[in-house]
Amino acid sequence: MSKGKLLIALAGNANVGKSVIFNYLTGLHQHIGNWPGKTVEKAEGTLHFKGYTIDIIDLPGIYSLSTYSLEELISRRYIAVEKPDVVINVVDASILERNLYFTLQLMELETPMVIALNQMDVASRKGIRIDVDKLERLLGVPVIPTVAVKGVGIFRLLEKAIEVVEEKHIVKHAPIRFGLEIEERILKLTKMVENLKLQYPSRYVAIKLLEGDEEVKEEVLRLNPEIVAVAKKLAEEIEKIHGHSCSTVIVAERYEIAGRIAREVQTLVPSIKPKLEERLHNLTTHKVAGYAIMAFSLLTIFYSVFTIGGYVSDLLNELFYTVEPFFYNLLGVGAVGKLIWSIIEGVIAGITIALPYIVPFYIILYFLEDSGYLSRIAFLMDNIMHKIGLHGKAFIPLILGYGCNVPACLGCRIMETERERILAVFVTTLVPCAARTVIILGLVGKYLGIGYALALYIFNLAIVFILGRLAFKTLPGEPTALIMEMHDYKWPHLKTVLKQTWFRLFEFIKIAFPLIILGSFAIKLIEVFGLLELVALALSPITVAWLGLPLITGVTLIFGVLRKELTLIMLATLLETENFTEVPGFGPIQMVVFTIVTMFYIPCISTIAALVKEIGWRKALFITVFEILFAVMLGGLAFRILTLISIK
Amino acid sequence: MEKRVVPLTALRDGETGIITSVKAGYGRGRRRGGFGVEKRLMDMGLTPGTKVTVVKSAPFHGPLEILVRGSRLALGRGIAEKIFVEVER
Repeated sequence: MSKGKLLIALAGNANVGKSVIFNYLTGLHQHIGNWPGKTVEKAEGTLHFKGYTIDIIDLPGIYSLSTYSLEELISRRYIAVEKPDVVINVVDASILERNLYFTLQLMELETPMVIALNQMDVASRKGIRIDVDKLERLLGVPVIPTVAVKGVGIFRLLEKAIEVVEEKHIVKHAPIRFGLEIEERILKLTKMVENLKLQYPSRYVAIKLLEGDEEVKEEVLRLNPEIVAVAKKLAEEIEKIHGHSCSTVIVAERYEIAGRIAREVQTLVPSIKPKLEERLHNLTTHKVAGYAIMAFSLLTIFYSVFTIGGYVSDLLNELFYTVEPFFYNLLGVGAVGKLIWSIIEGVIAGITIALPYIVPFYIILYFLEDSGYLSRIAFLMDNIMHKIGLHGKAFIPLILGYGCNVPACLGCRIMETERERILAVFVTTLVPCAARTVIILGLVGKYLGIGYALALYIFNLAIVFILGRLAFKTLPGEPTALIMEMHDYKWPHLKTVLKQTWFRLFEFIKIAFPLIILGSFAIKLIEVFGLLELVALALSPITVAWLGLPLITGVTLIFGVLRKELTLIMLATLLETENFTEVPGFGPIQMVVFTIVTMFYIPCISTIAALVKEIGWRKALFITVFEILFAVMLGGLAFRILTLISIK
Repeated sequence: MEKRVVPLTALRDGETGIITSVKAGYGRGRRRGGFGVEKRLMDMGLTPGTKVTVVKSAPFHGPLEILVRGSRLALGRGIAEKIFVEVER
């Protein structure tokens, strides 16, 4: 018996267990993509329950429904425009006041809702008892206590949500009232906007007008500019009464209401558990021990991701390439065989990069984020990272970038605003990954000495710093200062972490594989038709004339787009030598120039795919083109300067 | 003991004050509006009249760790300087 479709949205603060509930409800029936035209992640899933097909949307974790970030705007519009049948507001029982502030805003949107009072176990360990019935009465919203990590209360939560939909009762939230002088003015505005037919409820529009909300203001301005003028006057009146801006007064009152409700329903008893979380927090944010622990953890993570990754990657590589001879036996070594093999090679490249490095990295990243350690690292590193215009959180992807840029770029997902994410991915692509290290060490380190290799690393750091700052200055939008919650340490929910890893990996594969295969096919096409020389010639104005490199490097730089280490490997193959000092016209200066160019010239194709996933096609393309031009410019300058120095 | 108004950064570790005002300004605004930092601070519960305790600050002039409304926040030093609190000393 099918009763049709339902739409349920999950909303709440960050780190309240929203994604655990989402994963619990949807199991493996989920899809993770982006909101249309945005780079904000959208998680959807389906579920069958009591004859309904239920679509579940996990809205981003946010603290407010203002327009501070894209996430907030998207959530608000979604609730107002798509009108989900019911919103499940996930609330952290251990930080009730802050969470209720968000709940009150959802209630202002007049959406049908159910509250999942989550982390009841954490609350009771902290000595917080909550009178659920009283909370329900005070809010006029059904409240279901849950412990999502153990699956407690989820079934009842879903039942309650369905009940709310089936009863089809007009939303009867308890009236949340501000102070008299504000209420009066809200009422006045509500009457004025009632006939405007806006997507938001009238009272909500009135409140937002007083708060000076830009989006609502713009919309009302289009329909009736007079109302906006009235709202401005009323807001000024309130400002005069209170001595603070009207938006501040309204937010403060909302928090007052949230605080009052929280105090009324909470009883504090002495906490049972000694504060292990507290001690762990003190240790990990300590001015000496904190850094030591951080260094140790990051080294361990780095080491394990890349040794395990490297090992698995090599193993897979070997496994796949044993197939090669059989393959050529089957299809012959003609053009067709070679071209088809290039497709397979693309797949192999994808698998050997994606699986071994990205999987462990994603798992560790979500582990760090869910447990709360990531926010401590951000706390310790924020000041240093700010010097390159980055948020403290960006430290992790940046460090991991030294291993492989691909997971590092994907990891920039943890940044809170789009601007921060763009900055973080950009800087990350400049960091020399393991493949580029192979070139730095294998060419400059081997032939010119380790000192020169080190100098190149330092040079790279300087460039990262300069370009980072430059991007920070030029990118539009307000730089976001650090305002970050450091929630209590908790043990991450392993199943959620694994599912998050799996679905994001899948999303990456969908973007990356076609790109990698296409790239590998295109290059093979050039090779098979004997066009390599032609390409090298076509590139010669850049490679030979401007960079002072041998003609053949044009070919190897093309191959480097697939995997950066190929630039060196191909060089050896094409020159038919492993000893580059014997190559005429490839002296120390050329080696340095060649290395500088490979270091910056283009994120490899897998990294481009990761960029596309995180910041969209246009910006990914922009970064790619910029880096090509930048590397060529830098290489040319280096060539001239180095030549000048060595002549003297 | 007298009451004094000082920026949040002037509080000693462990000291508590009551917010009197936030002077973060509205910024130059994002392309699609929004209120910038001040609004964000308000939304995180740092409204006038709220009690704030400074726990410690990160080394190298790093962010402040504060307790507000029952939760723990990290606050960049730059904005912490613009939050004024009343303390009894």
